[in-house]
Amino acid sequence: MNEQRSYWRRLARGRMSRRRLLTGAAAGLGTLAAYLAACGGGAKTEQGKQGSAPGAAAPPAVPAYGGRLQVAYGLEPSSLDPHIGNSGGDRFSYAPMFDTLVGIDERGTARPDLSLAERWEVVDPTTIVFRLRPGVKFHDGSPFDAETVRWNIERVKDPDLKSTARASFLNVDRVETLDPLTARFVLKEPSAAVLSDLGGRGGTMIPRGAAEKLGKEFGSKPVGTGPFQFVQWAPGSHVTVKRNPSYWRKDAAGNQLPYLDEVTVRIIPDQTVQFANLVTGEVHLAGLVAKDLPAAEGNPDLTVIKREAAGVGSVLVFNLDLSPLSNVNLRRAVVAAIDPAAINQAVHFGRWVVAEGGLWTPASWAYVPAANKPKYDPTKAKEHLRAGGAPDGFAFTLLTYSNPILQQQTEIMQGQLAKVGIKATIEQKDVGAATNAFFVERQFPLYSTSWGISGAGQEPDGICTSNYTASGFYNPMKRPISPEMEDLIKKGRQTYDPEERKKIYARINEIVFDQVFFVPLLYSSLWAGLRKPLQGGENLFGGAFTWRYDFLWLKR
Amino acid sequence: MQAYIVRRLLQAIPVIILDTFLAFALLLLLPGDPVETLIGASGGASLDPEQIAAYRRELGLDKPIPVQYVLWLGRALHGDLGRSTRTYRPVTDEIKARLPVTAQVGAAALLLSLTIAIPAGVTAAVWRNSVLDRIVTVVAVGGVAIPGFFLGVIFILLFAVKLRWLPPSGFVSLFEDPMRGVRFLALPVLVLGWESAALVTRQTRSGMLEVLAQDYVRTARAKGLREARVVWVHALRNALLAVVTVIGLLVGRLLAGSVVIETIFAIPGMGRLLVSAIGARDIATVQAVVLIIALSVVVANLITDLAYGVLDPRIRFR
Repeated sequence: MNEQRSYWRRLARGRMSRRRLLTGAAAGLGTLAAYLAACGGGAKTEQGKQGSAPGAAAPPAVPAYGGRLQVAYGLEPSSLDPHIGNSGGDRFSYAPMFDTLVGIDERGTARPDLSLAERWEVVDPTTIVFRLRPGVKFHDGSPFDAETVRWNIERVKDPDLKSTARASFLNVDRVETLDPLTARFVLKEPSAAVLSDLGGRGGTMIPRGAAEKLGKEFGSKPVGTGPFQFVQWAPGSHVTVKRNPSYWRKDAAGNQLPYLDEVTVRIIPDQTVQFANLVTGEVHLAGLVAKDLPAAEGNPDLTVIKREAAGVGSVLVFNLDLSPLSNVNLRRAVVAAIDPAAINQAVHFGRWVVAEGGLWTPASWAYVPAANKPKYDPTKAKEHLRAGGAPDGFAFTLLTYSNPILQQQTEIMQGQLAKVGIKATIEQKDVGAATNAFFVERQFPLYSTSWGISGAGQEPDGICTSNYTASGFYNPMKRPISPEMEDLIKKGRQTYDPEERKKIYARINEIVFDQVFFVPLLYSSLWAGLRKPLQGGENLFGGAFTWRYDFLWLKR
Repeated sequence: MQAYIVRRLLQAIPVIILDTFLAFALLLLLPGDPVETLIGASGGASLDPEQIAAYRRELGLDKPIPVQYVLWLGRALHGDLGRSTRTYRPVTDEIKARLPVTAQVGAAALLLSLTIAIPAGVTAAVWRNSVLDRIVTVVAVGGVAIPGFFLGVIFILLFAVKLRWLPPSGFVSLFEDPMRGVRFLALPVLVLGWESAALVTRQTRSGMLEVLAQDYVRTARAKGLREARVVWVHALRNALLAVVTVIGLLVGRLLAGSVVIETIFAIPGMGRLLVSAIGARDIATVQAVVLIIALSVVVANLITDLAYGVLDPRIRFR
């Protein structure tokens, strides 16, 4: 033990010289990093068309069959059983193997050509009849039929399965099988949201036989009807799928889908390392972040596909009952003091989008800009402060969760607030703890956070139910926001006409902004980099912006 | 000697018990309720109270904490570390797949660091205060001071992106495909090995300096032995006793380093498993991985102590 102690003593003695040395070494490496980052050249950039619908357009050239696609993705799946998994990133790994009863495109619209149901009809407000696509088989050869649909919905609803999709199906009273290819959904209450719910986890169809035989193992040996079938999941490393030769879909020219022989999703947690893999050609496809965009756009071997304003990257959530922000004028002062454009420039190089609407983004069918949305206006901030009885400002604690991007955003907000005399003390917690502290324990007046893209696409009903109803989990007050709100949410859910619904959700946003409750500041954008041999990128994004591999092909 | 071994083994027992307790206590220390985390942090996925209660029952979280600990310890003694709350798979299966990966990376890093560090340390000691000694010191201190995540990214940018010599990330087992395996292992092992090499170099250097000043070395020189023999045989053998101690400590450092290195280089080992399990509040997995890592360190130190006793008679008779 003596040796150890003297070792540490010696190490401690060497500290001074080491520090001097470190400064030099760090400076040198910093220069090297800057040089390396600047490497790359060329100028040609192609950008995918904004908002083009997947599967709608015919591929631009005659696609070549075959090839193995390598994909980099950051999150390890929690399970490949679509009903059970609990991580938002799961779908990037499981989706290629499955289809949903109702197919959802990237705007959140239900599309029969993407669906296992050929067509559907709302017979009356609580009855929807689905006519299933004939001849569809699971990878294990078992047929997909109405009985399978009924069993799947029952499975999701079973509390013992602990499916995160269960809550959205509690409104489904029962599923009746009228004949092998016709399933009738009987709802407890009318719900237009059920269609998009059927396009998410809960509407993903799995075969009863394999699921019952494998039990919990199904999550690591999945069987579906999708364009690709399972080959291997090496935890921490990759998920590999191969072509399903008898997939039911064809492209617009009548060619059998998918084109690729095999897809491997490599789990690479670090964003910089993902990009390194893309640049060196180890993978054909990877997500990009704002800092890598200039290098990607300048790289002649890469094509950048973007989707602007896809998610809510920065949102202020107020607790309307907690002092001092229980005063609506002070809430208005806070929003008027914060300049989202400056945050966008500083943190995201101006690549995100300043929000002009609510929690459903411009990428959703339901999006409408809101005229009464509180905006940045430092002179008005002073007026609001006076109206709120705090002309010289006030102090409060601002909660955020531990995430480097949120932390930067929130620190800039803190500085902007200080300019008008509002003193915000930032408290940072781990995401689960922050959610609990704000929404359950109700300890903080303001939460600076982000809002994910819902797994069911861009359907506002889920957000309204969980955020704006009196009993919603994400309503920290646990009381109605306004007398009108509960009825509006119900009406929105029970209306089947999209245009009518759009008006209802616009009105809901108006109320939320009047109250200054959920105020989005920035919409986040999504980018993907494709290496040149990879074609079909215009069809990359599917529902909930999940990557689809069935339209991609590799040029020889 | 036997008494010494028995004494060391007995001393390890309370340490192991403390390890199990600390590993279990992580459940209480981690911020956020594991079941609440499963509900999801933001919009979309959610579980209802009925499902949450089912989860608590299944994970045994409805029982008092001491009872949970005893039950967990009892199962662990039978080799059952529970099921992952995230994937539902037995944690032991997961560890069986991950441990060999970390072992390969760690062993390669250790081997690399020893082959470089011992000659470097000896050189630095023999030519003390020379330019060579300065260079060795600078490189060694750099290895300790530059964090692995930074060095890792710089190496990827340099060797993979710029020079295109090596793949940027990934892992292939040396036993499956030695040629490709080496290419994938090179960068992570270099990063991980550098820090260990730095420590061993410093230890070897100071050990050698101490030994070279001793009388028996003067005697060896006086009786006309060649300098190389004096340094590499007579002096080094005694100086290495101190190095052996460091190796025991290095096992712990390498395991800790693997957490960072495996995440950067996308290596499916224990470190990655730990990081993703913490992120998902996968308590059973976190407890199991921490327990295995702690036990590995205890065992490594035990072996070091025993080896030390074998090498140096003064220790075992003390």
